[in-house]
Amino acid sequence: MDNNNPDFDPQQSLQLIESMINRAKDKFAEGGFMYLLWGWAVFFLSLTQFVLLHFFQYTYHYIVWMFCWVIVIYQLVHMRKKYRKQKVRTYTDYIIGYIWLTFVVLIFLLGFLIGRLTSGEYYTHIVPIVLALYGMPIFLTGIIMRFKPLIIGGIGCWLLCVITTFIINYDYQFLMIPLAMLIAWIIPGYLLRAKYKSQ
Amino acid sequence: MFQELDPILHSQLRLAIMSLLISVKEAEFTFIKEKTNATAGNLSVQVQKLKEVGYIEVIKEFKDNYPNTTCKITKQGIAAFEDYVKALQQYLQMGQK
Repeated sequence: MDNNNPDFDPQQSLQLIESMINRAKDKFAEGGFMYLLWGWAVFFLSLTQFVLLHFFQYTYHYIVWMFCWVIVIYQLVHMRKKYRKQKVRTYTDYIIGYIWLTFVVLIFLLGFLIGRLTSGEYYTHIVPIVLALYGMPIFLTGIIMRFKPLIIGGIGCWLLCVITTFIINYDYQFLMIPLAMLIAWIIPGYLLRAKYKSQ
Repeated sequence: MFQELDPILHSQLRLAIMSLLISVKEAEFTFIKEKTNATAGNLSVQVQKLKEVGYIEVIKEFKDNYPNTTCKITKQGIAAFEDYVKALQQYLQMGQK
């Protein structure tokens, strides 16, 4: 590209601005890794919790979630590597990053608040509340990326959250979490991966 | 009365750099080079000019033991870019009359 061109007129200026803005437009930088990692992890952990609770009546059934710390560490290493490879940071990356950060903060806050505010029977409320929360980052990410499977997944989580409140035997409420993982994280995760590879 | 086109921005390569940077949060030198098809030397000179007038911020750091340059548009740069586009619109409207 030339630097100083005497024939560079206003019309060409506009065309250049338009073409450069188009070149910088977001490509799918996300290959679905995070959705598949967390989708499958939560899918198996929640099924394990259901088995421990329903078939073994194990008191400390929630202990399975401690495994999340291993995944968090693995993800942090992965994100660090990805960040170092990135040549450009778009506003989309930036906003989506903060949406997920807000979600993580809210999940931890929720764990703390439910334990503090509800006396003893917290486990009967936790699944619908967690499902309502799961829908938020998925839905917003779908809107920002203009990626329908994520939008549908987010709405799916909210529908499942309402359905869960009608399940009287709360053991079975835990089965709604793997179902939510399938529709909101795992299926959109594979579709994202396919889109990323085909671009 | 015509608003004069900012001579800093009315240059193909500098305008291309600014148009790229206005669309992203920050970009590495290699990304800008790839998108503008400019030579490293020429790009480096124009980046320096934009930095001197305060339109962009240049961050030099080490990444995997290699020097790495990242560029980011400043508030002043955004204002200048907006003014430039407004002036362009004026010129084009006049041309249509």
